[in-house]
Amino acid sequence: MQTAAQDALGSRATAKVEPTPRALIEELTAIVGAANCIHEPSELLTYESDGLATFRQRPGVVVLPGSTDEVSRVVKAAAKHGLPMVPRGAGTGLSGGALPVPGCVLVGLSRMKQILEVDLPNGYLRVQPGVINLDVSKLLSPKGYYYAPDPSSQSVCTIGGNVAENSGGAHCLKYGFTVNHVLGLRVVLHDGTIVDLGGPTLDAPGYDLVGVVVGSEGLLGIVTEVFLKALRKPEATRTFFATFPTTREAGDAVSAIIASGIVPAAIEMMDTLAIIAAKAATGLDWPEVGAALLMDVDGPLDEVEHTAKHAGDLARKAGCIELRLPKDEAERQLMWKGRKSAFAAVGRISRNYIVQDGTIPRSEIGRVLGEIATLSAAAGIRVANVFHAGDGNLHPLVLFDARVPGEEKKAEELGGEILRICLRAGGSITGEHGVGAEKAMYMAEMFTDDDLDTMSRLRCAFDPLQRFNPGKVFPTPRLCGDRPGLYKAHPAELSGQAERT
Amino acid sequence: MIWGVEEQEPTTVEEAQEMLRAAFAAKQRVAFAGGGTRLGLGPAPKGVQAVLRSSKLSKILEYAASDQVVVAEAGVTLAQLQAELGKNGQRLAIDPAQPERQTLGGIIASNAFGPLRTRHGSVRDLIIGVSILRADGVRAKGGGKVVKTVAGFDLPKLMCGSLGTLGFIATCTFRVHPVPEATQTLVSQGLSALEVNAAAAAMRAQQLEHGALIATRTAPGRFDLAVRFEGFGKGVEQQVKKARGIAGLVIVDDQAWREHAALLSAGPTRLKISALPTQLSKVDSALPQGRLGWYPLLGLGFVAGDIGVDAIAAARAALAGGSLVVEEAPSALDAWGAAPAGLALHQAVKNRFDPQGLLAPGRFIGGI
Repeated sequence: MQTAAQDALGSRATAKVEPTPRALIEELTAIVGAANCIHEPSELLTYESDGLATFRQRPGVVVLPGSTDEVSRVVKAAAKHGLPMVPRGAGTGLSGGALPVPGCVLVGLSRMKQILEVDLPNGYLRVQPGVINLDVSKLLSPKGYYYAPDPSSQSVCTIGGNVAENSGGAHCLKYGFTVNHVLGLRVVLHDGTIVDLGGPTLDAPGYDLVGVVVGSEGLLGIVTEVFLKALRKPEATRTFFATFPTTREAGDAVSAIIASGIVPAAIEMMDTLAIIAAKAATGLDWPEVGAALLMDVDGPLDEVEHTAKHAGDLARKAGCIELRLPKDEAERQLMWKGRKSAFAAVGRISRNYIVQDGTIPRSEIGRVLGEIATLSAAAGIRVANVFHAGDGNLHPLVLFDARVPGEEKKAEELGGEILRICLRAGGSITGEHGVGAEKAMYMAEMFTDDDLDTMSRLRCAFDPLQRFNPGKVFPTPRLCGDRPGLYKAHPAELSGQAERT
Repeated sequence: MIWGVEEQEPTTVEEAQEMLRAAFAAKQRVAFAGGGTRLGLGPAPKGVQAVLRSSKLSKILEYAASDQVVVAEAGVTLAQLQAELGKNGQRLAIDPAQPERQTLGGIIASNAFGPLRTRHGSVRDLIIGVSILRADGVRAKGGGKVVKTVAGFDLPKLMCGSLGTLGFIATCTFRVHPVPEATQTLVSQGLSALEVNAAAAAMRAQQLEHGALIATRTAPGRFDLAVRFEGFGKGVEQQVKKARGIAGLVIVDDQAWREHAALLSAGPTRLKISALPTQLSKVDSALPQGRLGWYPLLGLGFVAGDIGVDAIAAARAALAGGSLVVEEAPSALDAWGAAPAGLALHQAVKNRFDPQGLLAPGRFIGGI
């Protein structure tokens, strides 16, 4: 079936792919070693898709470099042969950011997983991109520190992938996203040049290119080192799980809590279907009500005692049925496990599903959920909602059975309609999963041609021949006016004194 | 007159767009200004033929208090915005000096900040959307009107600190925060640089959430340390109690912050210093003259006074690894210092946005 992502990738998805040149495979093998250069068709299967598993494309060759220098040499080799490159972390992304493009050199960073430097007095650490997100906090925990961004996939996803996607997570309401926690980057550019952006000292003179590369979805270069902020753990955390008759009352509770001046560390909402799924996956004894909120406040002890109590009062006033407080840290962790496993848990109540990701102004939550419910009923497709309510980031899970003819298509159409509802409400087509291959086609609905042209100028500055992750993010190909083919940037060109036409 | 040119003050974004299109057609070199408080930052742009000033783009366009998001034209002053947000118990959590003159566009373009940066980050951490006019007058936007969006490249962050060399900031969108219920400042006087570091470390060890923390030099090697706690009354009370056990901190009024703001204009020269947070002692000895304000948890500081070109060169050598930027000076000094690693990439960005080099030429790093 022709899918949205394949549409976005255009004819390339169906074009006849030339086999990877033997000479290139030999060059790559010489750089990374035979064990780390994968080109047998059967072994390439693993890399055909990322977390957006409905879309598949075999890469030309997969390389697993072990150092910045190896990445640089791999990039030079691929550039010499004029082949596209797709960087990949753990492959947990949900928008097809690491989906191979036909014939590409897929650069997997999973072997680069060293923590290179930890400097707590100065509040930072330096890591390689293949380090697992949760491993950073695990390393820092005995010293009383942690790394704040916590995507639900944090036990498997990598820092490099987080940088590419500007990953969020439940706790970014108070603490911000990956971009707010990255101080510096080492990046390999399209011609193999290695450049350092930012670093452990703030406000390096120049443009905020760290802020630009974070969230650029692998289109600007390959990140090989990352400076991260290490945060001191808060003194105390208070959590509640509150149930409501419908999502409307739960939404009212969220609005009231935020309006009272409380900035929760996280405030998450689940609807009935999501609650049922989480229960099935974790064995939690949650009641099957219309909606539930899971909230964390953290900070100084007296402050959180006050805000937790006040937030609880506001939840009751908004129509809360039951307010549960975890009796200990183990129970608290279990509640969060229920929330964080919600995506996968939906697999227990539906054969197939699409994870959507859109953002709306928080005050629109009740109305938008109503619209989604109406569409869902009309299409005969169930939608489970689990989302970051504090910042209006919806994750509707569109449930379907791929064995039923036409159902997958209906589910995709419904997913697309949900994004359009988000846009009409003044929101965004993606809050944290990225545009990737999946949503490139919706970019033109959120941005004008001039907006996209301006963004593509940034891309052209970094990668004039668009070798990195072509076909992603931008809805239509936009050339930079540079000559394709075998290409080696002239130093004068790199310094901006000359340009190819 | 700004940079020797009579400034144009459009009253709508469309007017600004017309002016830019006309300048572009005539291949005129254009520079942008807001409140005019930070014109000394970077070398004066070369051969400017037109200056576009945002002062009359002063409308707050959308403010959804319940969503904690505000959209405003770039010429809105920080004080004007805070007054509007304050009606709903909210604020933009950024506090550079001269809020009644500093415009939002100017704050973004010059990356202006104040003590609140310790807690809330800088303008890059609070901006969520922007619309700009390119050199050719084309209007483009990035980001959005919601706190959380990752669609497309981050034009809002690209504009932060870009000093008008990539485009004219027309409108901007920010995440806003609640005004804290209570605040309390404490001060400890006469600390050494090492004692300042130790106090900052102790506050971190105690898991305090400072709203702001600053050390101000009173004599060579001697500092007053001021900390402000913000939040709900109970939390502030508890934190003050804990902090009083650290480095002799005592409760004071808010005078410390006014002194900090005054320090910045102790001129004629003002430098911005960036180093590792624990390097106060090094900064102190590298720049013994002038007044010094230092943010111990950020590794940023300002030195203001009569500081000569040789002293600046020596300090740059001593502070290698960080940076020293001349923000104000009575005569032309090397504003940026040695070109950073990756200058070619910065130049490539500039060339793609402004291929003819018409916007504020020469004002930015490496002659950009």
